[in-house]
Amino acid sequence: MIQGPKTLQARTSHYIAVDAVHDELAVPNPFAQAILIFRGGANGNEAPVRVIQGPKTLLTAVDNVAVDPLHRELMTASFPTDSILVFRSDAGGDVEPIRILHGPKTQLDRPIRVEVDPINNLMAVMNDHALLVFNRTDSGDVAPKWIIAGPKTGIGTRFGTRDLKLFPEGRKIIAGASIRGPRGTRSREASNEDEEGFFRGGGQRFIGVWKYGDNGDVAPWAVLNATPITKIPGSRMALNPEGGDLVIGGDGRVAVYHLPEIFQKTD
Amino acid sequence: MGVPERFWRVMVGTLLLAAVWIQFGYGPGVTAAQQRSNTSDRRPMVLDRAPARMIADPNPVFRAVVLDAEHGEVFMANDKESAGTSVLVYPTQFPPTNRILEPRRRIAGPKTDLGMVCGLALSIEHGELYSVSGETGTLNVYPLDSTGNVGPARRLRGVMPRASAGVFLDVKNDELFITTEHVNRISVYPRTFQEDQEPLRFIQGPVTGLGDPHGIYIDGTTNEIFVSNHGNWRETQPGEGEVRGPDSLTRTSLGYNVPGRVVPLVPSTGQFLGPSITVHSRTATGNAAPLRIIHGPHTQLSLPDGIYRDPVSGELIVANTGDDSVLFFAKDAAGDATPVRVLKGPATKMKGPVGISIDAKRNELWVASWDSHVAAVFPRMANGNIAPLRVIRTASENAPLASMGRIGAVAYDPKRKEILAPN
Repeated sequence: MIQGPKTLQARTSHYIAVDAVHDELAVPNPFAQAILIFRGGANGNEAPVRVIQGPKTLLTAVDNVAVDPLHRELMTASFPTDSILVFRSDAGGDVEPIRILHGPKTQLDRPIRVEVDPINNLMAVMNDHALLVFNRTDSGDVAPKWIIAGPKTGIGTRFGTRDLKLFPEGRKIIAGASIRGPRGTRSREASNEDEEGFFRGGGQRFIGVWKYGDNGDVAPWAVLNATPITKIPGSRMALNPEGGDLVIGGDGRVAVYHLPEIFQKTD
Repeated sequence: MGVPERFWRVMVGTLLLAAVWIQFGYGPGVTAAQQRSNTSDRRPMVLDRAPARMIADPNPVFRAVVLDAEHGEVFMANDKESAGTSVLVYPTQFPPTNRILEPRRRIAGPKTDLGMVCGLALSIEHGELYSVSGETGTLNVYPLDSTGNVGPARRLRGVMPRASAGVFLDVKNDELFITTEHVNRISVYPRTFQEDQEPLRFIQGPVTGLGDPHGIYIDGTTNEIFVSNHGNWRETQPGEGEVRGPDSLTRTSLGYNVPGRVVPLVPSTGQFLGPSITVHSRTATGNAAPLRIIHGPHTQLSLPDGIYRDPVSGELIVANTGDDSVLFFAKDAAGDATPVRVLKGPATKMKGPVGISIDAKRNELWVASWDSHVAAVFPRMANGNIAPLRVIRTASENAPLASMGRIGAVAYDPKRKEILAPN
């Protein structure tokens, strides 16, 4: 357990990224506008080895982070500023982003998650109402390469999607756990919250898997639905391709699903 | 041989033509059309199957603790989603036992809209229980004798910011005070608020000293507000976090139809200020500086949470989550003050203390420990490594620590074959 005042973690902690190559963990602190980098084997009340924080970073309510060990980069989707900030992942202190994706052509609208595929040179972003895929090195005001959005997708934070992962070797995009169905949106206007409360959408959770190249209003290639059998606990995901496992966390639970179909590699 | 040769020439020519046709514009169209066809007709492969493994703690935890000394009841907030969030009500007096104690009643279920219930307050005079959630922007009111899956009698869903942590009822002035971590703010509402109530006033802004505020206590006699701060700080603007449609100063990513303004890419202001207790005037408003701050290495403050003032001695009592202690400060403590007493050690059974209260009628101190599933009762003047008079526990003594709360993410470390879950 990594816990205690020296760790500089906030009680609200929404993400963790593993850099398996350099054996490091990256954790955002939204309230102090910082990204904390720990040893991979950090334990107890242990201080981070580096902290990215300061005026030059342009960080705001940073609540997510992705690492690209191949190119030694680290990136975060900034929902307050509708931008993606990219840093050197071996940087510390008050450093400027090395790239910023930002502008009307990007269609970034309250982005909450970014993931990177260093092998196929892609970067995927979860938006308010769409999943956007860019080239990994895109910078400035650049249009997305592919956009997955629409009623068949059930995708976007307004539909409850909170996380996304990429599986480069199989060229798959995994997004979850969307809430779809008659009460698909979580907006006050659209949900009858008086009956069941603000955070209890009557829709159904599911994890959707899309293929690289999917573009537009495209149904997922595969789905894992929330049912009494699957008991999907939430919306946060991790991949263990070697074991063929999809790990899902939420509602105070962590569940491990053995889904080797997702982790089939493509040539 | 002549015919086959011509045949092959025609075939090669046709293939070359086809290649050129594809190369110059039609090919991608065909590919795209095929892809459109493939994806538009796509029927997803259904992977529904049971999890191979599930990790969860089914035992409730204790967070905020408030006392109805008059009727001998203690109300505790359980914000553990895997146990179903709830308010658990126990008698204040019971024979000491180390067994799991069942609550006298519980408020729980979808109608309650408790969310991640973090803060509790109560009014004996008006028979009301108040709850705030660490997730939603709501303040709910329940009759004090509520039980089961009951909806709140009243709800505040005005411009209150999301993710509030602490709530306190100033009985003397009939006002409710609420802290919000995300936007470093104290909001004040009349106890008799209506659903769309505007705050009477709020404290928020760069000079307030508020940095990731949690617990709150109001002394209506000295007109002081005491707030525990974790110290994660960024510059906020007065009014930030209020839900006011497209003009909201905070952009939200949660899919509401009130996204707020886009924040410009400007220099970051974030800092680690270190933990503190800020003391404010009860009537302060806007970007007002605190009256004094308790802050520094001698204070021993470490992730301070619940805060209470001893009604007899005036001492300030702090649930110090980060080092499993309760700190007692002199009533006029300021600066880098050393606690006058520290309750700490294995005999106390405290692990991750967050909630704190005093039963003045019975001269007892209540401490709720989140990590160990224990609420412990001590003599009011307890000091050092002493055993509690009695405990309420929701899990057996040898149960694993609660550790997992709201899981913000999961990650997999392939080197150690470990699942990581920040929460």
